[in-house]
Amino acid sequence: MASVETGAPRSHSKGKKKKKRRVGVRVDMTPMVDVAMLLLTFFMLTTVFSRPQTMELNLPPDSDTKVEVAMSNLLTLIVNPDGKVYWNKGTDQMAIMPFVELRKFMLEQSRANPKLITVVKVDRDGKYLSLVDVLDEFNLANVTRFSLAPVNDADKKNMAKAKS
Amino acid sequence: MPKHKKSRVGIKLDMTPLVDVAFLLLTFFMLTTQFKPPEEVSVDIPASHSAIKLPEADVMLVTVNKEGKIYLGIDSPRMMERLFGEANRLKNAVQVDKNQLGNLLIQARISNPKLRTVLKGDKNSPYGPVEDVLDVFQKARITRFNMVTDLEKG
Repeated sequence: MASVETGAPRSHSKGKKKKKRRVGVRVDMTPMVDVAMLLLTFFMLTTVFSRPQTMELNLPPDSDTKVEVAMSNLLTLIVNPDGKVYWNKGTDQMAIMPFVELRKFMLEQSRANPKLITVVKVDRDGKYLSLVDVLDEFNLANVTRFSLAPVNDADKKNMAKAKS
Repeated sequence: MPKHKKSRVGIKLDMTPLVDVAFLLLTFFMLTTQFKPPEEVSVDIPASHSAIKLPEADVMLVTVNKEGKIYLGIDSPRMMERLFGEANRLKNAVQVDKNQLGNLLIQARISNPKLRTVLKGDKNSPYGPVEDVLDVFQKARITRFNMVTDLEKG
């Protein structure tokens, strides 16, 4: 660029004015800045999202420390493999409710009886997702007193007898 | 036609400060980023509304994958070596049997009582193995633990 001037000095060929055309070393910074910005956005995004969210759980200790609960304060929720929620209070008959109503139901129940203790039972053939969903609804409904238990045969019989 | 339009000057913006700042931020983020080590187990995390962050250090991670296999990982290589031997020093999770899990958890917590227990289950994992793990937690007197979830919107 600096060396070749093809159609350049026409009328005034004194040689003095030529010096104007001298160009210094010019580096095109655009690609470098492009890459820098790309990396910048990459690192910014990865740093922000690196730590996943968690849900904290406090479960009662092992079963050898029995907690006495009045039957009337005990709410049992059973999630079957299809994701349907069966519930009963104490020894009442089981009832079925769709999962979407769980939050409202839990809010009502805990308002009606603040001493309520909930036992969540998820069927072994169910999904881990159902447990997380139920616990999430509990969090949203501010239900903090609950425990987890396995589904036993008596529960299965009750579920079969449940009214819909 | 006029031959020389050369003298026309476009808008010139001095990009130097911008580039300076960009590089400053770039170096900052490069230095502060901790890359996630390659995952031994791939897990599709369920979503919840909880916004509690995973603790940064002293984490004991029990993973249950889609097939219901159980993996245990601790974030310090020294602990991994102590529990699983030299070969597994740099792995971040090792498959374990549910019968061994209790002992491993207790050993780990004896050598580092500050360890927080974290359960990371796959969305589609069957509940059976998860129930076993929760049972083991209860037997090992781990009554407080975290479950890894994604943040659900809405």
